[in-house]
Amino acid sequence: MEMTKARFTQTDLAKYPFLKETAMLVKQLDLKIEELTNPDIAAILNRAEERVREAIMSLSVGEKREADVEIPSFPVALLLVINTKNSFIKKRYALAEAKQAFVDMQTESSEKILLIARDFDWNIELTRFSTMPLEFAISFTDYLRNTTHLRDKKWKLVNRLLVNGKVYLNKQDVARLLQEEVQRRIEKRLEVTELPVLPEKIAEITKRLLELAKEKIGQEEMEGLPKVVTQSAFPPCILALYEAASKGRHLSHVGRFTLTSFLVNIGMPPEKVAELFKSFSDYNERLTRYQIEHIAGERGSRTRYTPPRCVTLQTHGVCVNPDVLCRRVSHPLSYYKRKQKQLSSNLPKSN
Amino acid sequence: MASRDFVYKKFSEFYSSPSTVIPKISMIGQREIGFLLFKEHVMLRHKSFESTSSLKRFLGETVPSDVYHSCAYYENPEAEMNKKIWLGADLVFDIDADHIPTPCNKIHDEWTCNKCGFGGKGVTPDACPICGGQKFETKTWACELCLKTAKEETAKLLNILEQDFGFSLQELHVFFSGHRGYHVQIEKETIKTLDAMARKEIVDYVSGLGLAILEDETKDNTRRQRHKISFSLHDFGWHKRLKLGLQNFVMNATKDDLNNAGVKVNYKVFSENREILLKRCIEENRWSSVRGIGITTWKKLAKHVKDLESAKIDTVVTTDIHRLIRMNGTLHGKTGLLKVGFPANRLENFDPLKEAVAFKEGTAKISVSEAPEFRLGDDTLGPYKNQTVELPTAAAVLLICKGRAEVVQ
Ligand code: SF4
Ligand SMILES: [Zn+2]
Ligand SMILES: [Zn+2]
Repeated sequence: MEMTKARFTQTDLAKYPFLKETAMLVKQLDLKIEELTNPDIAAILNRAEERVREAIMSLSVGEKREADVEIPSFPVALLLVINTKNSFIKKRYALAEAKQAFVDMQTESSEKILLIARDFDWNIELTRFSTMPLEFAISFTDYLRNTTHLRDKKWKLVNRLLVNGKVYLNKQDVARLLQEEVQRRIEKRLEVTELPVLPEKIAEITKRLLELAKEKIGQEEMEGLPKVVTQSAFPPCILALYEAASKGRHLSHVGRFTLTSFLVNIGMPPEKVAELFKSFSDYNERLTRYQIEHIAGERGSRTRYTPPRCVTLQTHGVCVNPDVLCRRVSHPLSYYKRKQKQLSSNLPKSN
Repeated sequence: MASRDFVYKKFSEFYSSPSTVIPKISMIGQREIGFLLFKEHVMLRHKSFESTSSLKRFLGETVPSDVYHSCAYYENPEAEMNKKIWLGADLVFDIDADHIPTPCNKIHDEWTCNKCGFGGKGVTPDACPICGGQKFETKTWACELCLKTAKEETAKLLNILEQDFGFSLQELHVFFSGHRGYHVQIEKETIKTLDAMARKEIVDYVSGLGLAILEDETKDNTRRQRHKISFSLHDFGWHKRLKLGLQNFVMNATKDDLNNAGVKVNYKVFSENREILLKRCIEENRWSSVRGIGITTWKKLAKHVKDLESAKIDTVVTTDIHRLIRMNGTLHGKTGLLKVGFPANRLENFDPLKEAVAFKEGTAKISVSEAPEFRLGDDTLGPYKNQTVELPTAAAVLLICKGRAEVVQ
């Protein structure tokens, strides 16, 4: 192999298959899709399926193999994930690979960490010979790009050693930020929608993976994780606000806060909520994505806001046309939960 | 009406004059340009210009009261908001006396509620105490104290941006806003694509918001535990700033300063032990070295020092990545003064009331309802109350724009 400049070893590339260099290496292998089912390289396909399966089941990527299997199994795994066209699997897989990388990076030498970080075009250096108490220095922009959505206060820039444009970090923190980069890079590679025609065997695997994901999501739904937004369970106040907003009509500040925090609380993704406010013609009144995320507590505020109680909404004129169920609740969110239960128990029981 | 025409004519002369130059604005073709028109205060938005000279021609024809450009760069600056395609934005900070408590306490400012007519002096409230209305008519003044305070806040901001964020003085473009404050603008490539969240983190840093060391305890949400944060200062970033601030406070604090900081300590004990406070407490983090001045006191002092050391910026300006800001070299509709840029290292000696004067020739006769004593350029003028005077054009325009005078024909 003619990789004289490479400082990553084969073992490194097997450990961190998302590196740019691995992509080049795989290209050189010249693996053809049609050949994937060839028994000689069955080990690669098996390992690829295992990566995805483990990701779905336990957010890990399974036991590592020899480099010649391990390295090509990663792009094949990507192919499998893309082919499922399932956003849960995509998210889950990217996160699993990123988490594994985080674990592995913590025991790497500092020089290796530096090399990996530079693969993501970070402006990073070692501070070994200076007086700084921490080993790594990265530019504050690289730092911000990877921390603004981490919730713990310790990641706030204000609580960091920021000197002359550099944030000083220890190895574990750098590895944590790199985890974010890895996840983003993999998510990006999974964005592809056009795929070549794949062999029958791949279709079978895809089907298996989808089954597995369904089992997994089903289970998490029972644990109450991903929620579906049921518009028909909105209390009258929220419904009125919701309709006003979608028609681009003016909302009071209390109204806006109530609607946004309600929607975010029942699990509507912030992008969807932002869309609702897009129709506001007045530029100043349009809720920016940022404000919504602030209420969602995903980023800036690091606390999740809840909508006001009914009494508060009554005094601010947000409570309109309360119905029978309203009399039995004191909070729009509990209205929603009760109504949702009612609605689902009214449905004819399937199987 | 005659007064409005007078100001319009002066603005028109200014923008039409061949000697007026609108300083170059980087990537102007990619920015949205907006104008406030004299007529009914209509806002003209989503405009775009190839160069400042074509813009200047437009200014001469349209004569707006205020001119703005986006700090953002767009693929299509003239398209409506969600079709513009955002490419990036400068990092902008706005320091305005409106947002800073000043020694003059803004006694020169008045506000009147649009809804019920209730009014008062001082800083405009968020909501009317009588009817809760949120829109106000305001009469403000930019006194020397207001301007000085804004300048001090700007100096603190520049210091943080230089020392902590590592921007060079050349990268920090500083402007007087033409009214009561300063703008700092950074156009560096690396910051252009920072999103609103990243900018919020910068805002929080500059404002000292969320400093964990100043919290009494943190909640560990996952384990539902509370644990005390050890109060220990190192020599970098905000810690260094707090340390230096505490040293400075300890060395200079009067009895009043201690009261203002909200700590109850015996002043005699405090002032006799300054050496120990400096060395053992602040330097060696042995905070309980002086009897009667314990960790609670130190934390309170540190919070007070944080307020002194942080820069009071208008936070929404920095986080809004679509923001329009006043254009350099154009007139401010509330004063007739220019927004002017100057090198960061000149801040201390910069005299806004001299260098922002646009109308340097002639005089005008005006009837002044009320104006405090004020300075403009080298002239000290006023106070006036219900009198007709002939003033230099710049001063006349200022008083008319401020709603304190009418032109006399
Ligand atoms: S009673 Fe509560 S839930 Fe019902 S409409 Fe009023 S505010 Fe909404
Ligand atoms: Zn009022
Ligand atoms: Zn003042």
